[in-house]
Amino acid sequence: MNVSLNWLATHVDLKGKTPDELDKLLTFAGVEVEGIEVKGVSSDKIVVAQIMEAVQHPDADKLKVTQVDAGDGQLRQIVCGAKNYKVGDKVPCCLPGADLGGFTIGETKMRGVESKGMLAAASEIGLTDVEDGLMILPADSPIGTPVKELFDNDVLLEVEVTPNRPDLLCHYGMAREMATLLEVPLKPLDLPLHEGFTADGVKIEAPDACPLYTAVKITGVKVADSPAWLKERLESIGLRPINNVVDISNFVLHELGQPLHAFDAAKVTGSLVIRAAKDGEEFLALDDETYTLLPEDCVISDESGKALALGGVMGGADSGVTGETTDILLESAYFTPSRIRRTSRRTALSSDSSYRFERGVNPEGVLAGSALAVKLILEIAGGSAEPVMRLAGEVPALTKPVTLDLAKLDQLTGGSISYDEAATILARLGLASNADNTWTVPAFRADLQRHIDLVEEIVRVKGLDAIPSRLRGTYVPSSAVDAAYDADMRVRERLAGLGFHECQTIKLIADAQVADALPLKPLLPGDTIRVSLPLSEDHAVMRPSIIPGLVASAERNVRQGAGALRLFELGRVFRNAGGGKAKDLESDTLGLLLSGDALPSGWARKDSTIDLYDLKAVIAALVPTAPLQLNPRDRDGFALACDIQAGGQNLGSFAMLLPSRQRELDIDSPVFVAELDLTKLRKFVAGSGSIEELPQFPGSTRDLALEAPASLANVEIERVLAKVKEPLLTGFECFDVFRDPSGEKLAADRKSIAYRLSYRAADRTLKTGEIDTAHQAVVAALTKALPVGQR
Amino acid sequence: MKDQIEAIQAEALARIETAGDARSLEDARVAILGKKGTLTEVSAGMRDVPKEEKAAVGQLLNAARQAITASLEGKQQAIQDAADRQALEGIDVTLPARALHHGSLHPLTIIRHDAIRILRRMGFALAEGPEIEDEFHCFDALNTPADHPARNEKDTFYFDSGKLLRTHTSSVQVRTMEGQAPPVRIIAPGSAYRRDEIDATHLSVFNQLEGLYVDTDVSLGDLKGTLEYFFHELYGPKTEVRFRPHFFPFTEPSFEIDVKLEVKGQAPRWIEVAGCGMVDPAVFEAISSSRKDPAYDPEKVTGFAFGMGLDRLAMIRWGIKDIRLLIENDARFLKQFA
Repeated sequence: MNVSLNWLATHVDLKGKTPDELDKLLTFAGVEVEGIEVKGVSSDKIVVAQIMEAVQHPDADKLKVTQVDAGDGQLRQIVCGAKNYKVGDKVPCCLPGADLGGFTIGETKMRGVESKGMLAAASEIGLTDVEDGLMILPADSPIGTPVKELFDNDVLLEVEVTPNRPDLLCHYGMAREMATLLEVPLKPLDLPLHEGFTADGVKIEAPDACPLYTAVKITGVKVADSPAWLKERLESIGLRPINNVVDISNFVLHELGQPLHAFDAAKVTGSLVIRAAKDGEEFLALDDETYTLLPEDCVISDESGKALALGGVMGGADSGVTGETTDILLESAYFTPSRIRRTSRRTALSSDSSYRFERGVNPEGVLAGSALAVKLILEIAGGSAEPVMRLAGEVPALTKPVTLDLAKLDQLTGGSISYDEAATILARLGLASNADNTWTVPAFRADLQRHIDLVEEIVRVKGLDAIPSRLRGTYVPSSAVDAAYDADMRVRERLAGLGFHECQTIKLIADAQVADALPLKPLLPGDTIRVSLPLSEDHAVMRPSIIPGLVASAERNVRQGAGALRLFELGRVFRNAGGGKAKDLESDTLGLLLSGDALPSGWARKDSTIDLYDLKAVIAALVPTAPLQLNPRDRDGFALACDIQAGGQNLGSFAMLLPSRQRELDIDSPVFVAELDLTKLRKFVAGSGSIEELPQFPGSTRDLALEAPASLANVEIERVLAKVKEPLLTGFECFDVFRDPSGEKLAADRKSIAYRLSYRAADRTLKTGEIDTAHQAVVAALTKALPVGQR
Repeated sequence: MKDQIEAIQAEALARIETAGDARSLEDARVAILGKKGTLTEVSAGMRDVPKEEKAAVGQLLNAARQAITASLEGKQQAIQDAADRQALEGIDVTLPARALHHGSLHPLTIIRHDAIRILRRMGFALAEGPEIEDEFHCFDALNTPADHPARNEKDTFYFDSGKLLRTHTSSVQVRTMEGQAPPVRIIAPGSAYRRDEIDATHLSVFNQLEGLYVDTDVSLGDLKGTLEYFFHELYGPKTEVRFRPHFFPFTEPSFEIDVKLEVKGQAPRWIEVAGCGMVDPAVFEAISSSRKDPAYDPEKVTGFAFGMGLDRLAMIRWGIKDIRLLIENDARFLKQFA
C-alpha cells in the first residue's frame, strides 16, 4: 500500500520527522516499509520559463529550437523534442547545473545547435506526470521562480501491512498508529452524521454475508472532473483520477478504509436487495467480464431481480456512475470477510474494496465513510442528499472485553514491563480500561481477542529491545533423528573424501525423467505421485529416485566440459505404496553417479576411464565392515543392473545407463549409478560395536589359480570358499583374472582366475604340512563343487 | 710379514679410495676380505709366525682389518650418499601435483550443519516429519484458517488425495508435540514447497530449519537470547541482529529477524533471515485436542518457535546472487566448497 506523508499530515503532525525516522518507527511497529520515494522538485535551478518562440531544428525532424524567458534578462536557446506545448506556455526549465537526481544539466549542442538547458516533463523533475510531454505550469506562475516553490514536496512510503491489521489500510488508520507510537495527538475527524435512518429502500436477505448495509440517495449531482486537490491526493498514491464521484469514493477508501460504491439511481428499480447469488447466475462486471456465480456469493440486486454488483468485490457494468448520471445511490456496507475471500478467490476477481473487506473493515466506519463521502459529493458535485439514511441490518459487534493476565505478562516478558506501562500502552492504542484488568477494545481492532493479543500489542509498542535476553534451556535426550543425521553426515563426508561432489536436485521432476529412476524396487504403474496442478511439466512428479536428478546434473556438467562426473545426493524419495499412508510415501536414499576419468590425468598420469569396479569400490567404502556383493537383476532401461548386497541385506540398486541413453546425454564414457537405502546404510556407517583381538601367531598364504568356464562368476567360487569346512582358512581374495579371446594361451570360452588364500590358527604357528593339507582340502572342495581345475 | 701387512693395508686403502661405485667397492671388498682376499691370505700366514712375534703381528693384522673395514664402511656410506643425492637431482618440485579428485559437501549441507551444530550446543535435538503432509498438520493445527491465502491451489501443491506438499517445516512442530510431552526442544531441517516460479530469488522446493522449545516457563527473553546467540555464532559475534514485530498465524507475538549485512564496498543493509514468535495458545489447544490430554494446556506451558530459510542463509554466507546455483549442481560451483 502507498502512503503519502502529506496526506497523513492532515491527521497527525509529523513535522520534524525524517522519512528514515518514520521508516524505523513503522518497521518496529510491525509495518514493513518496502520503499521510500521522495516526490517533489529538489533543485533550485529548475525555474518557471515561458516559451517565446519555437522553430524547426535544421537537421532533426523531431526537434524544435526554442527561445525561452527564464527570468535572467535574456532569451535562452533550448532544443526540445516535446510536442504538447504552444508558444506562450510556461514550463519548467532546468538551467545548466540543475541536478536531476544523478545527472547534471549542462550546455550542449544538439545536432549542431546550441542548447542552454532543458525543458522538462513532470516526471523528470520528481513530480507526477499528468500530461504526455512537457509539464505545462499555470499561466500565472511567475517567470524565473524556482518550481520547487510552487509544489509541496511529498514522501511516498510503500508499506506492507500484515493481514491482522486491516485498520492500517488507510491514511487515517496509519495516522492513528503513528500518533500512538509518537505519543502525539490525532486530529479529530469532524463528520456530520445522518439525521436519521429508515429501513425503507434496502433489504438484506443474506445477513451471513452482509450484516450491515446502508445507502444514501443524492439527487442532482453533476459528474465532472475532480478539483485539483482531490486529483493531487489520488495521484500522490498512484491512482488515476476518473470523475468526481468515483474519485470521492476512492478518496474515502484510502482516507478511512471504508469501501463505497455509487450506483446510478436511474438504473435501480425499487429497493436494493442484498441476496445470495443464484446457482449459475451470470454477472457482467465493470471489467466487462461475465462471471458465473454460486449461492456462496453475495450480490446487490434490486426489485427487478437483476444483480447490480457483486457485493464487496466489484460493481456491475450497467449500474455504475457515468457522465450522464444525475442521481446516485451511495452504498456503504460491511461484508463478512470469509465470504468475500471465497468469492474473490474463486472468481479471481480482486479490487481495493475486496482487499479490505476480506481482511475486515471497521464496522463502525460504515456510517463515517458514508458521511464523509456525502459531504464531499455535495461540496464538489453538488446536488442534495436525503437527510435520512437507508439502513438494513445492524453493526456487527466484532470485539469484546479482553482480560490482561498480569502473571502471564510477567512470565512472558520476564517482568520487564510494569503494569502501569502496559496500561499506558493499551490506553494509547485506544483501549479502555475496566475493572479487573479487563479492557474494552475499539471496533477497528477486531484482531485483539485474547490476553495474548494484548501482550503482543504491549511488546510491539514497547519493543523487544526492552526485554532482556535470557540464555537458558532444558536438557533433552537426543533422538533417533539425531542418530540418522549423524550417520548421514558420515556418509557425506566419506563420499566427499572419495572425491564426490554433493548435489541438491529438485524433488519435482518431469514424467520423462522417471525412466532414469533406479529405486530399490522397480516402479509399477501408479507408483509415482503427481501433483495436481504442476507449475510446469518439468516439475510435475515427486521423484521416486535420486538418479534422474543426478543424470540431469551430469548432463549439464558434461555440457560445461567436465571430465569426471562424481556426484552424490542424499535425500527423500517418494512413491505410492501400501495404500498411501504417510510413512509409506517417503523414504531417504543415497544416489551415486560416476562417469568419466577414474583419476584426473596430467603430466604424471595417462587418461583412465572408470568402470563398474570403481563405483563398486566406492560402495564398499561405505560398508567397510561387511562383504559387498552385486547380484545381477534385470532392470528396464539399464545395463549391468544388480542388487547391492551387504551383510545379508539388500542395500539398493546398481546399474549402468544403457549406451543408447548415454549417447543421448552426449556423455562419452560409461555412466554408473547406484541408489542405496539410507535407513539400512546408516547402520553400516555407525561403526562396529566391538573390536577383534589381533592374532598372536603369524599366518600364511597360498595362491591358487583355477581354470574355469568363462561364464562362471567369481561369486560362485567365493560362495564355495565361504562354505568350505576348513577351520584354518581365514580369508580369500581374487587377485588375477586372465582370458585370451584369441584362444592361443587359453581356450576363448575359459578363463584363469586366481585367489590368494590365507591360513592361520589362533593358538600356534602353522607348520608347512598343516597348511598343505588344508589347502588341498580347499582345492578339493572347489573342484568337487564347480567345473574348475587347478592350473 | 709386518711389511707385507702394511703393504696390503696401503694397497687396500688405495683401492677402496678409488672405487667409484657400489660394484667396484664390492669387488675391492672381496679382493681384500673375501675367502681368497689379500688380507685373508696373509692372515692365514699367522700359523707360521713365531710364537714371540704372534702378539705383535696379530695386533698389526687387527689394526689393518679395522682400518680397511672402517674405510670400506666409510666409502660405502659415501657412495650411498652420492647415489641418494643423484636420485633426487633434477626433480622439478614445481611441476603440478598428481591430481586427486577433490569432493565437496553442498553449501546447503555446510550451512545446515553449522546451524545444527550451534543449536545442538544449546541442547536442541533433531526431529523430522513427512514432506507430503495433510492439511491438519500443515495448516489447521497451526491456527491457519480454512480460507487463508496460503491454502489455495495457486500457492500450494496439492495431490488428488487431498494431501499437500508442506509449505513450511512448522508441520514438524505439530507432529513432535503430538508424539511427545513437554519439555520439547527440537530443531527440524527439511524441504518445504511453494508454487513459486523458479527464478534468481525463488525456488519451488526450498530448505528450512524449524525450531521449537516448549516448557513451563519459556519467555520472550529465551526466544531473543537463543536467536541472538544463534546468529552471532553463525555470522560472527559482532553481527547486529534486530527483531521486527510481524504476524504469523501460529505465533503471538511474532517477529521477523534481520541481520545487518556488511559487504565490502556496499552500504550495510538489514536483511531478513528468520521468522519467530511465541507459540500461539491456539496451537496448544489444537495439540491438546489431538492428543486428548492436558500435556499442552496453554494455561500451563509456553513456548517459542522459529523458522529460517537455509538457502537464504547460504546465499548471505557466500554472497551467492542467484539461488538457482544451489540446485544446478554445476561442478565449477560445487568445487569451490571442496
